[in-house]
This record gives sequence, structure tokens and C-alpha cells, in this order.
Amino acid sequence: MDSDEEAYILLLLSDGNLPTGAFVASAGLESFVTHGFMSPSGGPPGKKHDKLEFTTEFIRDSLASYARTALPFVSDAHTLVQDVLASATTPPSEAPTANALRDLQALDDLYEVMTLNHVARRASKTQGVALLSLYSKGFTRPAVVQGTKDAHESDKDVQMGSLVDKLKLAVRREETFGHLPICWGILTAALGLSLGRSQFLHLFLYARGVLSAAVRMNIIGPYGAQQLLLHAVRPLVTQEAKRCGSLRTGLKECSESSDISSERFDNAVLTYNGPANTWPLGEILAGRHDLQHSRVFNS
Amino acid sequence: MSTVEKVAAGKGRIHVRSDGNEAVLSELSYSYPLKLLSPRLAPSNVAIVYCLTYGGGLVHGDGVDLEVDVKDRTSLVLLTQGSTKVFKTRPGHRHAHPGKANRPSAETSQRMTVTVGAGSTLFLLPDPVTCFRSASYSQIQTFRLATDASAVLLDWITSGRKSLGEDWVFSKYLSVNEVFVAGRRVARDAMLLEEDHGGTTALPPRSLADRLAPYSCYATLILYGPKTAGTIKHLSESFVAITVFKHASRPSTVWSLTLLDGGRGCVLRVAAQTAEDVRTWLGEALRPLCDLIGTDVYDRTFGR
Repeated sequence: MDSDEEAYILLLLSDGNLPTGAFVASAGLESFVTHGFMSPSGGPPGKKHDKLEFTTEFIRDSLASYARTALPFVSDAHTLVQDVLASATTPPSEAPTANALRDLQALDDLYEVMTLNHVARRASKTQGVALLSLYSKGFTRPAVVQGTKDAHESDKDVQMGSLVDKLKLAVRREETFGHLPICWGILTAALGLSLGRSQFLHLFLYARGVLSAAVRMNIIGPYGAQQLLLHAVRPLVTQEAKRCGSLRTGLKECSESSDISSERFDNAVLTYNGPANTWPLGEILAGRHDLQHSRVFNS
Repeated sequence: MSTVEKVAAGKGRIHVRSDGNEAVLSELSYSYPLKLLSPRLAPSNVAIVYCLTYGGGLVHGDGVDLEVDVKDRTSLVLLTQGSTKVFKTRPGHRHAHPGKANRPSAETSQRMTVTVGAGSTLFLLPDPVTCFRSASYSQIQTFRLATDASAVLLDWITSGRKSLGEDWVFSKYLSVNEVFVAGRRVARDAMLLEEDHGGTTALPPRSLADRLAPYSCYATLILYGPKTAGTIKHLSESFVAITVFKHASRPSTVWSLTLLDGGRGCVLRVAAQTAEDVRTWLGEALRPLCDLIGTDVYDRTFGR
């Protein structure tokens, strides 16, 4: 895919009107505000804060934790799907799809057991499943448009369609969850976006979603949100993409039953570089979302 | 009963079995800097082991590797005596560490691998970890439970030595708790706290303390299994009964609860301004467990 094509896909995916379910998620911001964390009285003494500062700090802490937790899953899912597409053949062979499906479900399971917050789980599943529907309803080629002449391209379309349909079915049967980072990796790989672009856009959309929620809650105005998007979110997204872009879930390396010998102990402790939550405060407050007396968002 | 032979540095092993109606330590071995003590104050069928370190703390390069096995429908209560202090990292020096003898390591690490058999219960109720200025600490704890085994797993950290003005000034704290039930992973809690080095220069620096204020203690509690069912029910009912109205300022204690594995377990997190506040809070919240480990041990752990 050349850079013009990639830019076009980026334009499509960053459209705020895409039905991705993000508009009902505040990623814990609403609960954060309700619990008094945006009031100056609770902050460190001698420090004056305005709403733009508070919002920036929330995005910074929340994005850092989300990137560290979710980006390894985006990366692994993206790579898996890319590999399936690279091996697409005519007629489509069943084995790569079946293997990819199994591995994607394993990633989905791991994300579920690492997301120890029912509110975040719920939001992640809603948005993830919406992305799968977006692919099959919104991004597949309609009958009116002539198919590509490139045989490999059309093999890929068929392979991808079958993979996404099977995943959607698995979600409907409650065999898997359909978590957002995994589905994002699948969608962007299917559209041919490079991993780096996919990671960056995922973090950007996360931050923009928080800003949209802040505007809707009337914490900041729409102009302020744009200012932050250009001047604060950009360095933050760049930093987190750089910091977490090379992290992986490590799922393949760690089998469940293997015993941990002394050697493994050494390695496991000193080199654990997998997904991790970096903001326990945000986790607690987000988990209290449903306890709010009145609320606008779903998370 | 205690043997200190042929055990690599920092290694420990605790095996609990049943002898009639008594829980016995069929194995209790350890080596420097780890020390394991088993006082006789437990109710019947419960074994108690204190995990101690020499000098009450761990220095850079120290590693502790504890293997625990609880079987035959017995219970084991693992305790510490005072918080685990992690001293600051000084590169180039190292003390006891299992594994390769000459591998440079500036980190302090603890590894615990636990197997809990059918009908048995593990209570892991240590004091909090306190990382001193510039300390670097990692712990990975793996719990393998049989289908109807139970576990109460407490993992908590304080912000440092208050008396010296330390407030989240260590360099790294990593804690991973992973729970498998009958070979199936039901939870992996991974928390990483570290200073934001090499961050963006476009925004003002943001310290770990800024991120975690106004709290000085964070606790994660994982409950799983039939022995904890009553406690889980009680806690989740009190959680959903909470109604939060708009706060004018940050609450002094805040907690959340999420059910695991269809309600067979839960993860509870608490943050408060002091470790003592968290201890008191936990002491109230876990009251139903008092019967299982005995009032004496319960009160020693949570104070009265």
C-alpha cells in the first residue's frame, strides 16, 4: 500500500461519525470528575489548576496506562491477521483461518483476564464488536463496485471476510469476547494499514474520545479540545506509541502448564515486559462508574 | 522440621499436608536472605508461616524465590512481620540471587509459585511492600488452584518512608499476580509503577506522586473459591449499594470491586491516605474470614 492509499484509510478511520461506540465511553473521565478529582481543593497545595490542565493530566495518565495495557494486543492481533492475509490462496484454505481464529481467541481471553474492571471490559467489548461490524458492513466491497483484477487481492478479501464472519459468530455464541484492541488490530490489518500507523491511530482515537467526553460533559469547550488535540495529545500519543509500540503480549512464549524453574524465575522477574496497568487510581475510579448517582456515559 | 540444606540463595519451600486433623509442614526450607518461621498459634488444620528477610528488608540484587504447596484440605496463612522494605539500587553491587551467580542485576525481585490442592486454602496476608527512594523492585506471583481450592491474596504497596518525606520516589515497582484454576487462567493482575523517564518535553514533568495523589497506599486483593464465597457476596453487595454523588474534593479512601470467573472470585482495589487506613479498612471488609484463620491471627494481621 502506498502512502496516499494509507492516508486515505487514515482519513476514513479517524472520522468522528464512524459507528464505533466510542461516543458512549468516557474511559473513566466521568467517574474521575464525580469523585472530585478535578476540583482544585483536592490537588497538591499551592498548585492552581484550570480545566484544560486537569483534562490534560487525565489524558496523560489514562493514555499511558491504556497504551501499556492494550497496545501489545493491537500489535499481536495485527501481526496475526497480516500473516493470514499474506498466505491467502485460491481456493481459500481453511487451516490459516482456523489457526488465526484460535490465536485471536487466546489473545481475547488474555485481555479479558487482564482487564480486571467490569466497566472497562464492557466498554471494550461494545467497541470491539462494533469494529467487526464496521468491517463487514462498512468496509467490504459492495456489489456495484467491480472487483479487483489482482487475484491475490481478491483472495485476501475472501479470506478476511471469512475470518471476520467467524469471529462475529464466536462472539455471538459467547465463545470469545471481541475486545477493542484485538478487533482494532484485525480491522486495521484487514485494511492494509501498517502496524505503526495502526498503533498511533488507536492511541489518537482513545485520546480524542476522552476529549469528546470532556466536551460533552462541559468540562472544556470545543475550541479548548482542539487546542489540546494539536498541542498536548500529539506529543503524548507520539511518546506512548514510541514507548509501547514494540511491546508484545508474550502469549506465545508462556504456556500455561510449564513449570517455572529457577532459570525461568530469573528471566520472568527481570524481563517481564508484557501488558501492565500503570495507573491504579484510574482503575479504581473507572471501576466505580456505575455507582454514580447520575451519569451520561457507559464507561 | 526446618532444613537448611542444599537450597539456593533466597530460595524457600513450604509444603503443607494433613496429619489427622492437623495441618503439618512436611517441608519448610529456606536460605539467606529468606527466613521462614512457623509459630504454633493456629487453629486446627491451619498452618502459619512468617516470611522474614534478614534485617527486615531486601537490598538491590536480592532475590527471593518461594515455592508453596498446600494440599489435603488444609489451610496455610502466609504472613510477614512488618512491611517488606526495599532498599535503593546501587549499580555494581549484588548480594544473594538465585540462578546464575555472576549476572549483574540491580533489581530486587521476589518470585512466588503456589499450588493449592482440592479443598485447601491459601491466605497470603503480608504487610505492604515499601520501596525506598530509587529502589527497583519486581515481584511475580503465580497461583495454581485446583477446582475447589480457595485463595485470599493481598498485595499492597506504600509510597515510601513518610518520616523521611518519601512519597512515591522509588524508581520502579512491578507486581504481577496470576491465578490459574484447574489450568485455566482466570486473572492476571499486572501493575507497573515507575517514574516517567524520557517523556515529552512539550508538557510539564509529571511525577509518580502526581499520578497517585492524594493516596499513599494502594492495595489489590484477590479472592477466589468456595471458602471466600460468603465474603465475596458480602463485599459485592456493599459495593453495588454505594451511590456516589458529586464530591467537592477527593475522598480519603476509595475502593472498587470486580467479579471474576462468573462470581467465583473477585478483585478488590483500595487506595487510602495511609497504610493504616487500608489495614483498618481491610480488617473490616474481611471480617468473615476471621473464623477460618482464627481471631488471634486475624487480629495480629489487621490490628484491632
